[in-house]
Amino acid sequence: MSSSLLLSKKNSDVTENGTYKHTTSPIVTGTSVLALKYKDGVMMASDCLASYGSLARFRNVRRLQPIGTHTILGASGEISDFQFIQNQFEGLMLKEHVEDGQKLETSSIYRYLSNVMYGRRSKVDPLWNKYIVAGVEPSKNNNIFLGFVDLYGTTYQSSVMATGFGAHIALPIMRKYAEPRADSLTEEEASKILDDCMRVLYYRDARSFNKIQKAKVTAQGVEISEPYSLSTNWDFAESIIGYGS
Amino acid sequence: MSTEIQNAAKSHAGRWEPYVDNGGTSLAIAGPDFCIIASDTRQSEGYSINTRYDSKVHQITDKVLFATSGYSADGKKLAENIKIQAEKYLDKNDKIIQAPSIAQMTSIIMYQKRFFPYYVFPILAGLDGEGKGCVFSYDPVGNMERVGFQVYGSASALIQPFLDNQVGLKHQENVDKNRTLSKQEAFDLAIDSFTSATERDIYTGDYLEIYTVDSTGIHKEVRTLKFD
Amino acid sequence: MTSVGTGYDLSVSTYSPDGRLFQVEYAGKAVDNSGTTIGIRTKDGVVLAVEKIIPTKLEVPGSNKRIFSIDKHIGFASSGWMPDVKGLVARAREEAWEYQKLYKVPTPSKILAERIGMYIQAYTLYSSVRPFGAMPIMASVDKDGPQLYMFETSGAYYGYRGCATGKAKQLARTELEKLDIDSLSIRDAIKEAARIIYTVHDDSKDKLFELELAWVSQESGNVFSKVPQDIFDEAVQYAKRANDDDSDDDDDL
Repeated sequence: MSSSLLLSKKNSDVTENGTYKHTTSPIVTGTSVLALKYKDGVMMASDCLASYGSLARFRNVRRLQPIGTHTILGASGEISDFQFIQNQFEGLMLKEHVEDGQKLETSSIYRYLSNVMYGRRSKVDPLWNKYIVAGVEPSKNNNIFLGFVDLYGTTYQSSVMATGFGAHIALPIMRKYAEPRADSLTEEEASKILDDCMRVLYYRDARSFNKIQKAKVTAQGVEISEPYSLSTNWDFAESIIGYGS
Repeated sequence: MSTEIQNAAKSHAGRWEPYVDNGGTSLAIAGPDFCIIASDTRQSEGYSINTRYDSKVHQITDKVLFATSGYSADGKKLAENIKIQAEKYLDKNDKIIQAPSIAQMTSIIMYQKRFFPYYVFPILAGLDGEGKGCVFSYDPVGNMERVGFQVYGSASALIQPFLDNQVGLKHQENVDKNRTLSKQEAFDLAIDSFTSATERDIYTGDYLEIYTVDSTGIHKEVRTLKFD
Repeated sequence: MTSVGTGYDLSVSTYSPDGRLFQVEYAGKAVDNSGTTIGIRTKDGVVLAVEKIIPTKLEVPGSNKRIFSIDKHIGFASSGWMPDVKGLVARAREEAWEYQKLYKVPTPSKILAERIGMYIQAYTLYSSVRPFGAMPIMASVDKDGPQLYMFETSGAYYGYRGCATGKAKQLARTELEKLDIDSLSIRDAIKEAARIIYTVHDDSKDKLFELELAWVSQESGNVFSKVPQDIFDEAVQYAKRANDDDSDDDDDL
């Protein structure tokens, strides 16, 4: 294979009849990302799995990425597209560093990402992801920001959000326990809600994994935990015929 | 079947659909010297509610609002483009662009994407150059019509006939056809329209943003709808 | 200048009969018109210092800097024609980022130096272009430790322990040669760098100047950055005291 072919852009290979082939389905994927606002900032969780179809292919993948000092980016969907976005941000942040530019805050990072996502969908060559952008904005009186953008360029902001299967299973839990108390929720409470949601997801989402990471952003900056596991209880399997026995 | 046709059929089958419907309903009623614009704030995708509060009404000038429904990302981008053009107009002409001009411009901006349309059903509403209420409605490729009232979006089939009857005075006997609605009547009709639609349309709900545009400016009110 | 009027100094694509490229040499003269820039490489880091001459006191203090970040761990300081300096800085940033993006490792300075050198050299080949009127000094800390390079207008570049360019390069080099660089700490190197800039500055030629100091070392987290204010102030104090002592000695004589 020639080096130019090696370096040529993924997803835009020319086919025999001269048309371009774009991504029509994701290949290596990450499942849900969850995020919620609490008293001091915002917290996010995801597992460390990258699946190849139903195969648990890569089991130590970090899907929560710090961008700058006060923002985290959580990704679900196609991992290669996520890595492309990570590279874009690395370049953007380096540019900001060497040019002594104004520090990019969460809403600017979110706007940039949203424009990239909408731009790619408009070329009918989407980046196959759902992203959650979370952060605290020091220059805006420590405004807590939580935003979503997907492969269609659809955007929204909310005090709780989840991607993928989490939108069905974890979101109702977060809407019940976190959303009404977003202003008063303590860090411990927020942490417990996310752990509980991740546990429920691990019980029910066949593409999930019991090795997860949690991240938070407060006025002090970004903190991302090392991967850890949740306690689980599979005793109920005993009572289900054809499940455990 | 020729290979070209086969290839075309194949490539069409494998093609990713670049549109989604995010639901939502927008409404506008023009009065003699005012205009009412209302939208719910729910954003959905399939049976999921993405968020309960995502504004679909965008302010273009101090007299003109732009309400959307359909594909949210296109709606936001279209509103952004119209706002950019309205600002350019101000820079070039030293004069705030008036509603009929924005209306024509919007039609052109939309038709420019005739073969990859903005999947949006927009309503442009506010006060025209003479201070009269005005409503312009569009289809996704830029067909434009100045109307007295309009409802677009997921609950349009529920509300439009109601407004035809109550605002357009259709199918009413012994009624003074020259009668016009008062501001309060139009405002209340907007609320009643949405509270009713919410009962039957799963894509309409959560909150209602109601804007009143009159000679004193733009006034916004937010009411709750049902969260179910 | 004997070469003037011979016709061999008009194009960069023609050598003179004695094998010189006058346009490249004239570019060096352009560099000598601007303030002095020096670099010192110690065991634990590199410091760059610039005598930024201020043409008018209407200029905003701290503006028009002559020291630039290239990558997190790499920096440039340059005498010469400012737009040319900026052109090279932009190119260096691009090269550094492209390398980093492709290999996911910080760009090694010897590779970046080679690329910048070849870029400058390319502008000495064609009659349609003008060589860069800049001599950048590049400082970095990479996997091989602290590095200091200086580029000439021909595209030639060398690694240094101490180097100088600009108006008073000769005097500055003499001062650098007096230092025992191998046993110098980075903190002391900063002081000496400030001292040399204050020493070589000629009050009778240029009234106003601003000292710029930047470093990359373990203490700066291996990030190329401005020298922190307290260390900067200390260095300036040291520089001024050293120069005052010198002039006192002169008085005694």
